[in-house]
Amino acid sequence: MVFTSLHFVAFFVVVYAAYRALPHRSQNWLLLAASYYFYAAWDWRFLSLLVGSTLVDFAVARTIARTDDPRRRKHLLWLSLAFNFGMLGFFKYFDFFAANLAALGEAIGWHLDPITLHVILPIGISFYTFMSVSYVIDVYRREIPTAPSLLDFALFVAYFPHLVAGPILRASLLLPQISQPRRISTRQIAEGLWLLGWGAFQKMFVADNLAGIVNSVFGASATPGGGDILVAVYAFAFQIYGDFAGYSNMARGMSKLMGIELNVNFRFPYFVTSPQAFWRHWHISLSTWLRDYLYIPLGGNRGSSLATKRNLLITMVLGGLWHGAAWTFVLWGVYQGVVLAVARIIADRGRKLAGAWQHVALGIAMFHVTCYGWLIFRAQTVGQLADFTGRLFAGPWLTAGAWNSLVLPLLLTVSPLLVVHTYQAVHDDELAVMRLPLPLRYAIYGAVFYLIVLFGNFEGAEFIYFQF
Amino acid sequence: MTFAGWSTRWGLLVLILAAEFAVLEAGLRWHGGSEASPGFQSLFMQDARVGHRLRPDAATRYSTVEFSTDLAINAQGVRDDAPIGPKAPGEKRIVVLGDSLVMSVQVGLQDTFGKHLERILQADDPPVHWRVINAGVQGYGPVDELLFYRHVVQSFEPDLIIIVVFVGNDAVEAHDKATWLDAGAPVANDVAEVASTHFRRIVRASMVLQNVRLRWDLLKARFQGPGTERPLTSYLADPPEDVIDGFEVSRRAYGRIADEAAARQARTALVLMPARFQTDDADYGRLRDIVASAGGSLIRDAATDRFRTALAPLRLPILDLLPVLRAEPNRVELFFQRNVHLTPRGHRVVGQALADFVLALPRDPR
Repeated sequence: MVFTSLHFVAFFVVVYAAYRALPHRSQNWLLLAASYYFYAAWDWRFLSLLVGSTLVDFAVARTIARTDDPRRRKHLLWLSLAFNFGMLGFFKYFDFFAANLAALGEAIGWHLDPITLHVILPIGISFYTFMSVSYVIDVYRREIPTAPSLLDFALFVAYFPHLVAGPILRASLLLPQISQPRRISTRQIAEGLWLLGWGAFQKMFVADNLAGIVNSVFGASATPGGGDILVAVYAFAFQIYGDFAGYSNMARGMSKLMGIELNVNFRFPYFVTSPQAFWRHWHISLSTWLRDYLYIPLGGNRGSSLATKRNLLITMVLGGLWHGAAWTFVLWGVYQGVVLAVARIIADRGRKLAGAWQHVALGIAMFHVTCYGWLIFRAQTVGQLADFTGRLFAGPWLTAGAWNSLVLPLLLTVSPLLVVHTYQAVHDDELAVMRLPLPLRYAIYGAVFYLIVLFGNFEGAEFIYFQF
Repeated sequence: MTFAGWSTRWGLLVLILAAEFAVLEAGLRWHGGSEASPGFQSLFMQDARVGHRLRPDAATRYSTVEFSTDLAINAQGVRDDAPIGPKAPGEKRIVVLGDSLVMSVQVGLQDTFGKHLERILQADDPPVHWRVINAGVQGYGPVDELLFYRHVVQSFEPDLIIIVVFVGNDAVEAHDKATWLDAGAPVANDVAEVASTHFRRIVRASMVLQNVRLRWDLLKARFQGPGTERPLTSYLADPPEDVIDGFEVSRRAYGRIADEAAARQARTALVLMPARFQTDDADYGRLRDIVASAGGSLIRDAATDRFRTALAPLRLPILDLLPVLRAEPNRVELFFQRNVHLTPRGHRVVGQALADFVLALPRDPR
C-alpha cells in the first residue's frame, strides 16, 4: 500500500476522518491499529516481527531505566542490540553472506553447499529496527525517559507515515507528541496539504517518469554510450531524490494534518559544495543516526587524523550495507567514506572559497562526485559498474535516438522541479513557496496539479527505499 | 476574509489554471509525442459504415521517446505509400487485417512485418508480383475488422486475407461491439447520444483533456480492481462473462470474413499475436503480482489457448506466434518497453514466421 496508490488514499481518508472525531487516547489506538493494518497490507506474517521488536525493546528499556547497576544495564542493552541486529541481519543479510561464503569456499577449492534460505525481506525492517534501537540506547544513556505506556511506544515504532521508508525518528521528537494531546492548527493543515502535493509531484511526476530513462540504460540488454550513461545517472540522481524526498514530504504532510511534526529528511542535497554538507542534507535522519550511534561511539573525530578517517570509512561502509545486501552497496559505502576522508584532507589544507562562481563550480563538481556514487549504487552488478565506468570515458557518446529518448525527457521532467527547488533552496525552506505572492503561489499549485494529473504515474509504483 | 476577498482569490485561481491549461495545450501540440496529438488524430476519420477508419491521403510524422516515424495513408485509406488500383495479371495480394499491432505506427512502413513478408515471398517466387497490404487500424477489434473488410478491403481483390488476432484484448473488444455484428456501426441520433458525441469531440479536440480522460480511465480501472482491467481479463483463471462472450463474437466475425472472402475466391488465415508479457518474463511477473495482490490469478497463455479453442471450429489455418517469439533470444527486445508493440526486430521475426506459414499453406487450387 504505497502512498500514491488508491488503496492508501482510501485508507488515509477513512483514518483521518475517524482521527479528527476521536479524543487523544482513542486517536493513539486508532493510529496504532491503522499502522498495523498498513503494515499487514504488504505481508501480515511480518507483523509479528514488528510487534516482537516493540515488546522486547519496550520491556528492555523499562528494565534498563529501573536499574542502577551499570553491568546489568549494559547486558540489557546488548540483549536488545543482539535481538534487533540479529533479526535485521538474518532477514536482510543471511542469503548474501551464505552465498558469498560458498563462493569464497569455491575460490579456495572447498565445496560448500550454500545454505541460502531465500529469506524474504520484511518491508521497512531497517527503518523500524533503527528507531527501536535508538530508543533503547537513548534510555540507556539517560537522555530520554521511557515511554509512558506500551501503546505510546508501539505507536512510536509503527506510526504508519514513517514505518516503511522513514524518516528514522528519534523518540525525543515523536514520543512527546504521541503522549500529549495534539492540536491541529490551520497553518499545519495548509503546510500539510502543500507537502502532500509537493511530495506526490516529486514521486509521481519526477521519480516515476525518470525511472523509464534509468531502466532503459541500466537494463540487462542495454549497450549504452558514455553520454547515455551520464544522462541516466543524472536521471537516477533526481529519481532517487524525488522518490525518497517525495515519500518523506508526504509523510511529513500527512503527519502535519494530524498535528504531528516529523523532522526534515532532505534539505536540497544537490546544492551543497562538500561531501560533509551532502550528508547533512541527504537522508538526514539516517546520517544523524549513524553519527550519533556509530561514528561518535567509534571515536568520531576525537582521535588522530588517521583514526577519524578510519571511523568515517567504517561508518559509511556500514551505512552502505544498511541500504542492501549487495557488493555494490558496500562499494558505495567505501566510495562515500573515501570521498569524505579526502574532502577532510582537502579542507584541512585548502583555503576558503571566496567568490560566488567558485561556489557554483564547486557545487557542480560536488554534484558529479555524488552522481558517480549513484552509478555505483544503481549498477546491477559490480561487472556492470566496471563496464559503465569504462564506457563513461570512451565512445560512442550519445547513441542514435538518445536525444529524444533520454535527454529531452530528462530536461522536461527535471526543469519544473529545479525551478521550485532552487527557490526553496535559496530560502532553505521547503515551505518557502507558501510565502510567495498569491499569483505566483497559485501558479505553482496549478502547475503541480496539472503535471501530476497529466503526466504523473498513477500505477502506484513502489518507492525505491522500501527495499532497504 | 470577506466574500469579495474570497471571490478575488477564486477568480485569480481560475484565471491562472486557465492560462496554464492553454500553455500546456500549446506545449503538447507542439511536442506532439502522443496519440492524442492533433497530427496523429488527423490520421483518423469517422465513417458511417465502419465507425472509424484511416483518413485517405493523410500523412504525419509521429515521434515519441522511443521512435520517430513518417506515416502515410494512401487514397484507399490503408497505411501504404502507393495507391491500390486494379490487380495486374500475375499479381497476388495478401491483405493483413488487425489493430495497432498490424498498423504499427512505431516503425517505418518498410520495417513492418507485412513488408518483410512481401519481400520474402517475392524472393521465393519472382515470377509472381506479390503485394502485401497493411489493413491494420488502431483501435480495431474483430467486429471492426469485419466491417472494414466488407466495406473497404473487399475492393482490393485479395487472394489471401490474414487476420491478426491480438489475443490480449480482441475478445473484450468483440464483446463491446457485438451489436454491430448484424446492425453495422451505429449512427448517433437521440439527444443524449448527440450530446455525448459532442462532449467526446470536445475532449478529442484538446490534448490536455484527452490526457485527463486517459488518466480517468486508468483511475477507474484501478478502482474496479485488476479483475476488470480489461486487457488482462482474457487471461484470468476465471474470466468474466463479457470475455467468454467476446470469444464467441470473435469467432462469428472471423467466420463471416472467411465466408465472404471465400465467395470471392479468397482464402483466410488466422494469426494469434501474443501480448508482450507472454514473452517478457519481467513484465509477466509484474502483472501477475498486480493481479494476485487483488485476489485474481493470471494465467500467462490463457488468452492464446482460449482463442485457439474458440476459433478451431472455423477450420481455418492458424499460426500461433507465441512459440515463435518465445524461442527468440533476448525476448525483451521484441516489443518496445514503453508500449506493447513490436520493435523492428520483432517485426522481422514475425515477418519470417508469416512467410514460412504462407509458403506452407496448401497451394491455391486456382
